[in-house]
Formats: sequence, structure tokens, C-alpha cells
Amino acid sequence: MECILTVDINTSSVRIHAFDLTGQVLGMRKGSYPTFHPQADYSEQDPEQVFITTLYVLKNFLNEVIHPQKFKVKAICFCAAMHSVLAVDKNGRPLGNAIIWADNRGIKQAKLLKNSQECTQIYEASGTPIHPMSPLIKIAWMSQQDPERFAQAYKFISLKEYVLLQLTGEYLLDQSIASSTGMFDIHQLKWHTKALEFAGITPDRLSTPVSIFFDEVGLKKEYSKSLGLSSATKLIIGSSDGCSATLGSGNIAAEKATVTLASSGAVRVASKEILVDKSQRFFNYLLAEDYYISGGPTNNVGVVFDWFTQQFGSFDPRQDLEQVKEELLREAIQVSAGAKGLLFLPYLLGERAPIWNANARGVYFGLNITHGQKHLLRATVEGILFEVYSIGKLLAEHRNFSSISLTGSYASVPLFAQILTDIFGLPIHANTSVDNVALGTALIGLTGMNYFKNLNESSSNLPVTETYLPNAQNHDLYMRYFEIFERLSTKLEPDFELITALQ
Amino acid sequence: MNRLILQQGTTDLLQDFPHITEWAKLKVQHVQLNSFEVSSKTGIRVGLISEGKYDWNINGQGYTLYPGDVFLVFPWQKMGSPKGILEIGALTWIELQLNIFEASGALQLGNWSNIPESDQRVMGKIITMNQNPVLAKFTVAAGIFQEIEHELLQQEMGYRTRVNHLLDELFISTVRHLSKTENFRRDFPQIFLKLEQTLRENLNHAWTVEEMAGLVGLGISAFTEKVKGFTGFSPLHYLINLRIAEAIKLLRQTNRSLTDIALSTGFYSSQHFSSTFKKLTGYTPRDYRKTQ
Repeated sequence: MECILTVDINTSSVRIHAFDLTGQVLGMRKGSYPTFHPQADYSEQDPEQVFITTLYVLKNFLNEVIHPQKFKVKAICFCAAMHSVLAVDKNGRPLGNAIIWADNRGIKQAKLLKNSQECTQIYEASGTPIHPMSPLIKIAWMSQQDPERFAQAYKFISLKEYVLLQLTGEYLLDQSIASSTGMFDIHQLKWHTKALEFAGITPDRLSTPVSIFFDEVGLKKEYSKSLGLSSATKLIIGSSDGCSATLGSGNIAAEKATVTLASSGAVRVASKEILVDKSQRFFNYLLAEDYYISGGPTNNVGVVFDWFTQQFGSFDPRQDLEQVKEELLREAIQVSAGAKGLLFLPYLLGERAPIWNANARGVYFGLNITHGQKHLLRATVEGILFEVYSIGKLLAEHRNFSSISLTGSYASVPLFAQILTDIFGLPIHANTSVDNVALGTALIGLTGMNYFKNLNESSSNLPVTETYLPNAQNHDLYMRYFEIFERLSTKLEPDFELITALQ
Repeated sequence: MNRLILQQGTTDLLQDFPHITEWAKLKVQHVQLNSFEVSSKTGIRVGLISEGKYDWNINGQGYTLYPGDVFLVFPWQKMGSPKGILEIGALTWIELQLNIFEASGALQLGNWSNIPESDQRVMGKIITMNQNPVLAKFTVAAGIFQEIEHELLQQEMGYRTRVNHLLDELFISTVRHLSKTENFRRDFPQIFLKLEQTLRENLNHAWTVEEMAGLVGLGISAFTEKVKGFTGFSPLHYLINLRIAEAIKLLRQTNRSLTDIALSTGFYSSQHFSSTFKKLTGYTPRDYRKTQ
């Protein structure tokens, strides 16, 4: 039987799946690596460890699952988290660690660009919001704050490019990842001059982006051999995780939005048009075939619920975090919608979309003497989802969508799905039988190999394992809470700044 | 003031226990001046506060100890009251001479102990890695101290064996308490991150699963299961990952010899390193270096 492998290099781990040529999962393996925080606001990863882990997991997967069942690997398609930056010297050797999306060291540089004349031009051309997450800002930071490393750097690449460099010997960058660097003109499909100027580099210090279907370079023969793969096995460069997730969660031509609820989250829509927002609150990333993925990210989903569990969950010495989380989720279902008039702003990590305020902080609002731990619990879940809704509400002003596809680890938590449905007032579908990012990557690979005519065809008729329908009464109630949520989120801006100065 | 102080050499009750330098149980009813100066002793001191509040200086830092707190002071650390007084209250302590006990974590309790050498090595690391000499909520300690006192004084049949068992018990309980407190309410990802850091900083050590599990206060099978679930690798495979990733850095960025790189990343020999490297990457380290 023939199969395609997908390699997803994500924030906490690399996940490798095998799919048959119709898109059914045959198996999966993962391997994790750490994120280092040498200072507050810094988030880094060791590129060698990411590469070795990828190789190791691939090898184990092939030896333990694929080869014994005599599956023939026709292609390996890649995917990765966005916004990472790694400086390499002329021999392709890493200069220090890779800086990943969560890193916030470039706050000053982002502010500088936001207040400059070039800001709007660069945002509209690149589709990436001006924020410390973007490689544009990180490279600008390096040119100012780490000039030695900056001067030594032959190229600035992403973690995905580094892994591919090791595997193939060539610098390979896809247009999806390129379109999330903040430096790529998504209209003209080339590097944007003004953006590069701000970063302090010329185009030769970046790779040349190719289509996500690019498959003209193969594995180095030593790796082919040691992995037991045929030299005919294709390597397809693939896309970014956000684009794969959107594709893998359903028909990209339909009027739907995709909501990812994981440690962080995002709301996205797919369309053939770039979404223009005067206040620059959305990203526009390139998928392929003229499809753009537009939307907004949030920092505060799973991370915040984990925080609540740690701080307020009651731990029996033998219990671990997952078990206490389960208990809390069961408890939260018993509390009525609205938590008896208690509201939570979930901005524990500042926030990106839609308020884009790194100084935003968490708030429990409306506490009265009858509120207890269970109300705080319920309010926390609702607050997280109000924030997600706030992104969706803004997106809805630009794009119509009549239903939502839910992906990510919280897609299989009914409480979250049901509350989200009630808040949006729209039906929610989920396919929890497979990792949607991996599926999206497989669909890209299969489309590239012509098993599907185009991406649209590949992603129609994907299975749905759960459907949630909104409760109109709850929806009306939640809208009243949301009104206050929205007001507080903007009203408290000056106060957020004051309080962070004390932190 | 009620006091029971047994000192090695001045009482028959300790003659079968040359490793116990001192056993003291005090009930202090009036503040005692000039009775508790800051000093270090040759043995390790473990003690328990039963009543009262004690403001002490341990190893250069000030601590306040309350009933239920246990203190653990190493031979090279100074402890005492900065005012030289012993406050009103009740406390018990024991001072033990250990064969080997160093700041590096090297630990050899002595022939009296039944704890296997390999366990003692891991215990030594855990004890010395701990930066806090005051152990709060270490509730089992009170019972152990009571039993030790009973055995030393009553000398019933089998008491010699019992006392040494209880000392082992005290050490094991202390180590378990230390590793569990570290991990209370921590989720496994956070726990693992800390372990990973220790592994990276000591990559040339031949870590066993037992040692790694001991460091995070988990039993071997629970540890292995959690590591596999979280990282996707068994503990030893994850370690190989780290070793190879570090070795690749050294191969590419330095001119160090293969043997040097092998040993500093924890392989038994350059042979062992080469074969593991080739198995994973398809290159020998030498050839890999050439491709750079």
C-alpha cells in the first residue's frame, strides 16, 4: 500500500503522521523538544535538537510502523509553526538558538515601526501585523541589539528551512512561511524592499520562496539510505501550521471560519481575497492557488486554563495536572452560563488580536460575596471564549461565515465547544478523529502529486465527528456579558499600562 | 528546662552507634543566653521543631522555624541563633557522621546503612541539589524521631537494628519529601523541563533511568510512562537525542577530536558514539564533519 508522510514541526514537538492516498490516517509518532526562556520575554529553541528529534522520530516511525507493514512512502510533506528566525553562517551552521513566535524581545522595534511612516505600507504589503512575533521585527532587533551575530549571519532562516537544509543540503522556503515573516509582499510575491530596509538586510540574506507544492529537491542520499526510503520518494515543501489547519478542517471554499483552540488559539477564514483592515488587526497569509488565510491569533487559551488548574485546582498528592483539569471541567458544566454575573478578561499573557496590547492583563470583574471557586472557574472558561469570539466578531465584519470548524486539543472538550457555539450563535463542527494540521499537510501533498485536482477538491467531504448547535437563550445571555467584556477590554487600556509598570 | 542530650563518648547509650555524634531533645522554658551560637559541625544535622518559634541563621541566610518544620544542615554549613540564644519551645535533633558527604553530592552513609550504594549516590545528588535547609510540612519526621528516641532509651530486643533502620528511614523520607515538594502542583512538562536542564548540564554523566526518576521524585515505571507520553521517547532515547544534538554542535563548530566529543557528551567511547551516530543519521561522525 502506498502512503504519504507528513512532518509537522510545531512549537512543542514534531509530529509525524502517515496517511494513505485517500487521506486516512495509518499511524503517527511524536517527539518533543523544549523551549528555553533565558530571559523574560525570550523564547528560543535549539535547532540541532529540533533536527535530531525530527530525524529520530522519522527513523523510529519508519522502522516500527511503516517498513514492517511494507507501506511504500511516495512522498514526505512538511509543515511548521510560523515566525521563527535562526541566523546561520555561510556553512549553514546555526549562530545561537532559533527565536520562535512567542518571543517578545522586539517590543521597542515593533513600536518604532508602528509609529513610522512605513508602517501601513509594510502591513498592507506583507499581511503580517507589526508585532514582536514577526521575523521582520526579530531581525531588526538583532541588527540593533546583537550586531556581532547579525554581521556574521549569512542567512536568516526559519526552523523549517533549517531542518530541510539538513535533510537536503539546500535552502528551501515556501510562500506560506515567507508570507508570515512580515517581509514578503503577498501581492507581488517577492521580498518587500521597505520591510527589508527596516530589518537592515538585503534579499540575498533570505531564501527565495517557492510554491508550497515544490518537490524538485530530494533527501540527501545518506538519509534516504539510513531511513530505508527509495530515491523516488518525493519531498514536498508544504505550508505553515495555520494554513494546514484551515485546509484540514474543511472546505476552504465554503463560508466557514476555523477556530483553533490549543495552548494558544486563532480564528481564521480562507478566501481568494486579502482582508483589508484599517486598524491592522488581522494577518493575511498565503496558502496557494490564490487562497489567503486571514484572521487573528490569541495567546490566552489552554495556557490560561492550565494556569487556573494549577493555582486553584485541588490537588490530591497522587493526581497530575490532566486529572485535575478533567475534574474542573466536570465541575464547570454544573455552573450556569454567566457564572452568576462574573466576567473574566483572560489577558494573562498580554494579547494579540483584536486588541494587540502586550500590556493587557487578566481581570475578574463583578465579584460579589456569593461567588465561589466554581464561579471563577466557569468565568475563566467563558472569558477565554469571549476573547476568541471577539476575534471572530471582527472578522465577521469583513467575511461572512455561517458555521465554524473547531480544531486543536480543546476541540474534543465538549464544554468549550458548546459554550463557543452558544456565544457565536453558529453551529460548530469538529473532526476529532485526526490531527487537522497533519490532515491539511497530507492534502497539500496529495494535491501536489495530482491525486486531487486542487486544494478545494481535496478538502471537500472531510468527515465531521461532532456537531454542536447553539442555544438561543444562552446566546442572548452571553451577548449581554460580551458587551461588558468588549467595553472593559478597551476602556482599561490606560490602566493596563499603569499596572504593568508595577510588574 | 527538660533536656536529654546524648553525646558520643559521654554516654553508654550511643556506644553501639559510633555514627551518631549527638542526640538532643530539649524543652526550653526560659530563654537561654549563649547557648546556640552560629557554628558548623563535622556531621550532618537533622532536627525538628515541636513548639515555639526559632529565628536562626543557616548557611548565611536568616530563617524562621515553626512547629512542624524540619531542618537539614550539612557539615560545611553554619547554623545557630544570630543572638546566640535558644528561644522558648521544644526541639529535637540528631547529628550523624557520614563516611563521605560532599557538596558535589557524593554520599556514603556508612556500613550501618542498608541503602544500596547506587541509591545513596542519587540520594546524595537530590539532597545537595536542594537549596532550602528548612523542610516544611515534613510530617513523617516527627514519628521517626519519636521512635529513634524510644529505641535509644528503652533498648528493647533488636534495638540496635531498629535504630539503624530508622536512620535509613529518615534519609529515604527526607529525599522523597525533597523531590515531591519540588514537584507539588507542577505539571509534568514543567517538571521535565527542569530535569532536562540538569541532564544538559551534566551530559557526560552516565544517567540511568533510576537516577532520572529519583531526581523528579517518581518511581521508575511512572516516570518512564510519563516521559514516553510527554516527549514521545523513552527516557534513555530522549537522552540519546540530547547527546547527539550536542555532539552535532561540537562536530560542526569545533575541531575537537571524536573521542573528546564522544566522552563529553556521555558516550562510552568514540566507537559507541560512531555507531549510534551512524545508526541515526546514516553518516559516521567523521564523514558528517567533512560535509560541513
